[in-house]
Amino acid sequence: MVSRAKIKELMNESACSHSKDKKPGEGCDKPKPGLAAGGCAFDGAQISLFPYADAVHLVHGPQTCLGASWETRETKTSYEGRDYTQMGFTTGINTNDVIFGGDKRLADSIDYVMEHYKPEAIFVYSTCVTALVGDDIDMTCKLGSEKHGVPIVPVHAAGFIGSKNLGSRLAGEAVLEHLIGTKEPEFTTPYDINLIGDYNVTGDMWQYLPLFDKIGIRVLSSMSGDGRVWDIRTAHRAKLNVIVCAKSLITLTRKMNEQYGIPWISVSFYGKRDTTFAIREIVTALGCPELLARAEAVIAEEEAKLEAALAPYRVMFSGKKAVLNTGGNKAWSIASGLQDLGIEVVATSVAKSTQDDIDKAREYLGENGVLMTKPASEQAKVIDERGAHILLAGGRSLYTAIKKKISFIDVNQEKKTSYGGYHGLLNLAEDLKYAFKNPVFANVGKAAPWEV
Amino acid sequence: MEFSLTHKEHKPLQVNPIKHSQPMGATLAYLGVKDCMPLMHGAQGCASYTKVFFTRHFNEPIAVRNTSVSDITAVLDGGDYSILMAIENIQSKEKNLKPSMIGLHTTGLTETKGDDVRGVGMHIEIPYVFVNTPDYEGGLESGWALTVTAMIDQLTVSATTVKPNKLVILPHVSMQPIEIEKIKELCEDFGFETYALPDLSTSLDGYWEEGQGKLANGGITVDQIRDLATSATVITIGHSMKKSAIALQKKNPAIEHLHFDHLMGLIECDNFVAYLMKIRHTDPKPLIKRWRARLQDAMLDSHFLIGSSHFVITGEPDMLAGMCALIRSVGGTIDAAVSTTFSDVLRTIDCENVFVGDLEDVRLFFEGADMVISNFHAERILHMYHDTALVIRGFPNYEELGNQLKHDQLYEGSTYFLFEIANTLRKVKHEHKNHY
Repeated sequence: MVSRAKIKELMNESACSHSKDKKPGEGCDKPKPGLAAGGCAFDGAQISLFPYADAVHLVHGPQTCLGASWETRETKTSYEGRDYTQMGFTTGINTNDVIFGGDKRLADSIDYVMEHYKPEAIFVYSTCVTALVGDDIDMTCKLGSEKHGVPIVPVHAAGFIGSKNLGSRLAGEAVLEHLIGTKEPEFTTPYDINLIGDYNVTGDMWQYLPLFDKIGIRVLSSMSGDGRVWDIRTAHRAKLNVIVCAKSLITLTRKMNEQYGIPWISVSFYGKRDTTFAIREIVTALGCPELLARAEAVIAEEEAKLEAALAPYRVMFSGKKAVLNTGGNKAWSIASGLQDLGIEVVATSVAKSTQDDIDKAREYLGENGVLMTKPASEQAKVIDERGAHILLAGGRSLYTAIKKKISFIDVNQEKKTSYGGYHGLLNLAEDLKYAFKNPVFANVGKAAPWEV
Repeated sequence: MEFSLTHKEHKPLQVNPIKHSQPMGATLAYLGVKDCMPLMHGAQGCASYTKVFFTRHFNEPIAVRNTSVSDITAVLDGGDYSILMAIENIQSKEKNLKPSMIGLHTTGLTETKGDDVRGVGMHIEIPYVFVNTPDYEGGLESGWALTVTAMIDQLTVSATTVKPNKLVILPHVSMQPIEIEKIKELCEDFGFETYALPDLSTSLDGYWEEGQGKLANGGITVDQIRDLATSATVITIGHSMKKSAIALQKKNPAIEHLHFDHLMGLIECDNFVAYLMKIRHTDPKPLIKRWRARLQDAMLDSHFLIGSSHFVITGEPDMLAGMCALIRSVGGTIDAAVSTTFSDVLRTIDCENVFVGDLEDVRLFFEGADMVISNFHAERILHMYHDTALVIRGFPNYEELGNQLKHDQLYEGSTYFLFEIANTLRKVKHEHKNHY
């Protein structure tokens, strides 16, 4: 069960910077009928937990919830066992279960999973229908856990309780309640951190983890990119929580601070400046001068390597101007990456950004940068006025790029390569190089013989 | 584990499911009606998942809205509030939006709470069609079929006379846009005034134009649906569509109903063409005859490779029946035919292991198979089997491009399909075997 009080608490997170601007009780925006476009709470919970490849993720609900969502995210893992992230498990309840309850089916499914797959844990996700008919998922999980001797974690993020973001928060609650603090690590170091909120999509984490190794920072556990259930159970022994580019798990880190005294910082690994800044933040927070010195050496070495690799691209991109139309933190994180490549970002969209993101976008773009609040109608004008050469946006904006005869990159499309860390900048540079060189945008836009 | 074609489940859960839900089938059906606004009545995630699913399959923007039912409205509202608010919110935000119709479809959530979606219609000025599609019953195929029936029931005006050359095709859900187009084209060649309900051939056929994705881009118009009872002939393709034809006949008993389980392979295509010839008293155009001869040739060219191969096929029942028939017609052995849901058409499949299952069940047959025909979810699993080839068909196919233009029906499509299978088989059967 999830209580109204808990939802209310999560919707009014005190650690969110914008919470103080809202009236008491107002909290996060609730989905409006007809206008809500993004995923539901269940979607958010899945995103936050599915990267645990050593746990089976069992969706207790009817067909849509999992049938349409499994194997959709490129979250990479180094786990050597069977990668359960890329598998789909659902009770796929039928009419009978709706009428008589689905607990028996769930219990049988848990037995089946343990018999055939023996995962390190099972996450059981409640969904709208099983929440509405009142299946006692907590009890079924508890009994299953006792029977099989592995954590069976109920995740109460039925879709109808809110947005994706709230679901991620509830996933955090489930992990905090059922996993964190249930095991002790084999050993600890003064440089143990938890990575929170990086899901290792397209291997983003692997762009910067080798640097941690060089510096001597140890990742004790991850929530949840390339994560292991065993490790997250020991997360309470870390010295620092590092939130990567995610607002949704801030409640988890605040509570871990209250319960275990672990401080937290929020960083991003997009582009050179952010990566360097992030590393400095982490080592500073860990408070060891030797570590700081090693970090500085690594930063200097990596930046020099990167500068050399970027030099030809900088020449290629010199004088190029870009318009960016994407949501959330990408509004500034990709802008930062583009600037590192020597591209002037003349405008970015802040339509879906929080106040923090807007402030940061302003800082990165400078006084003359345009912060678009209605990008769909503004972007064409901005392209003309500022003479932009490339539009980075979602697929729907492609038409604008072709009409304006400029290059285009779909930044919302499922990427296959990572733009994270120092090296990711080279991937972005490669994509940009091909976009600038590609004649397709001009070719496609030519008038048909019957139009001239 | 023993598999048989019964309603009885052999395990409590699905592992790596191939089944997709009824509301998703309904969304897709509504997308084949011009300027329709599909409105899914459920939590926001139901529509969001559906949108992503079809966007990635078709590589096109998908116009679907939702009523974002919350935990509060799930209990307190009988559907009126969230449905009417959704329409009001959309209209006040997008003033230029002129939907021709609202295509409401329910989900497991709103069926469990039992909303009166029929009653809400009285308060809506735009043409409104509702369909009950709980996702704990049926599947993609039945959701699509129920929606077609609902549109006929609620929109089509009764008639007593028919236009002798007017024909309507009711295709099953697994047919891609190009396939609808080709079937329509064949009928038009025979001189029929041809309609398809739904008609994805002009809406999700992957063409480039501004401003897509707010409403269904193309398809049959609402007026044309209203007028369907003046058709002389209704053709259903796929067992799942039979009831929709009966619904149309209720609007006008004079309508003749022709049914085909599928249009794959020489026999079923001959049967189809023979009926059209009989009605129109005319031969097909020379090009059709030519394609038949090409199919004959393709069958002979490919029979050796396919005839010596073992297949495992998964999919929606109607698609499964067609593929199995075509492959059997050139001698291929089907080790397992695995369906998403139960359908009587599965009894027509010539294979020892026909059952309703998931990819965990199917996997037991991969070792002995030369080829798997399945949706893209089989791809990752098949990485472990080097001598088993894969041809991707059915929903979803997130990875390949041009899915809407894959044509497997009629003489022409069957020809291409046989060649594609044979050429893909060649890669695992011959190339890997020659080590030098």
